[in-house]
Amino acid sequence: MSDAESLDGMSTVEVRTSATAALIPTIRAVASDLAARADFDLDAISDLRMAVDEACATLVDAADPTSVLQCRFLVRPERIRVHAEVESAKPDTVLSTDTFGWRVLQTLADDVEVLHKAATDGRRATVAIRLDKSAGDVPR
Amino acid sequence: MPDAAAPDPFGVGLPLDTAMSRPRPGTILLEVDGEIDTATAPRLQAGLDEALDAADAEGSRVVVDLTGVTFLASSGLAVLIGGARRLTALGGRLRLVAASRSVTRPLQVTGADALFDTFDDVASALSAEASRPSPATAPPPGVAPPTRGVGR
Repeated sequence: MSDAESLDGMSTVEVRTSATAALIPTIRAVASDLAARADFDLDAISDLRMAVDEACATLVDAADPTSVLQCRFLVRPERIRVHAEVESAKPDTVLSTDTFGWRVLQTLADDVEVLHKAATDGRRATVAIRLDKSAGDVPR
Repeated sequence: MPDAAAPDPFGVGLPLDTAMSRPRPGTILLEVDGEIDTATAPRLQAGLDEALDAADAEGSRVVVDLTGVTFLASSGLAVLIGGARRLTALGGRLRLVAASRSVTRPLQVTGADALFDTFDDVASALSAEASRPSPATAPPPGVAPPTRGVGR
């Protein structure tokens, strides 16, 4: 994992797949399962499943064909944080956030953020999406 | 390593089936089963295009039955919204049958539900009268055009 988040003894699950749209159903199934076990309400489970799908689909579009899609779920009291990451197709790949899918993602998640990381010696550039979802309705 | 003789079983994503029928004169029913995401949305697009082409040619109304849909991503919503716009331009309004949270929640949370007439089951969608502005706000017939498309 390239970001600074460390395991803090809480429940953490990581799924790694080829960066292909055909495997996103597996990742969103994990998201759904974790949210259900964390006592998310039914709307929040549905929203997290859809948000994870959107995030992964956005990243797969920007990923190098040989990249891994790495999706880490940090399960916390009353919320789940998701960090999904791929290796960029190009060193200067920038995620497009001017899309319908991105607006949907912003609606579904409580908080969402794009993280670009430039290539460093031997490591390719990466792009990641971090999103937070709470277990129930938060006041908007 | 990839084996050329055995195609990747996950290569095309999950199954998504569409089936078009004419349950009664003047109505085209498109039944959709499966999960609609970026991998499968093109198959929904193909099915919906076929239904809308037929509706355009025949002057029929269109009902899309999403009862068997267990996941709906923004890519699928975009296809449905495109279909609704096309039908609105033809003077109609797309009818959706959406019973489960897997479908109703994405429609609701994105506000897309305002673009469709949504029903709980196929029988209601087939038998409902064409939607019109609610009586309380509707102008008398002939005075002003409706503000949104009316089902036909």
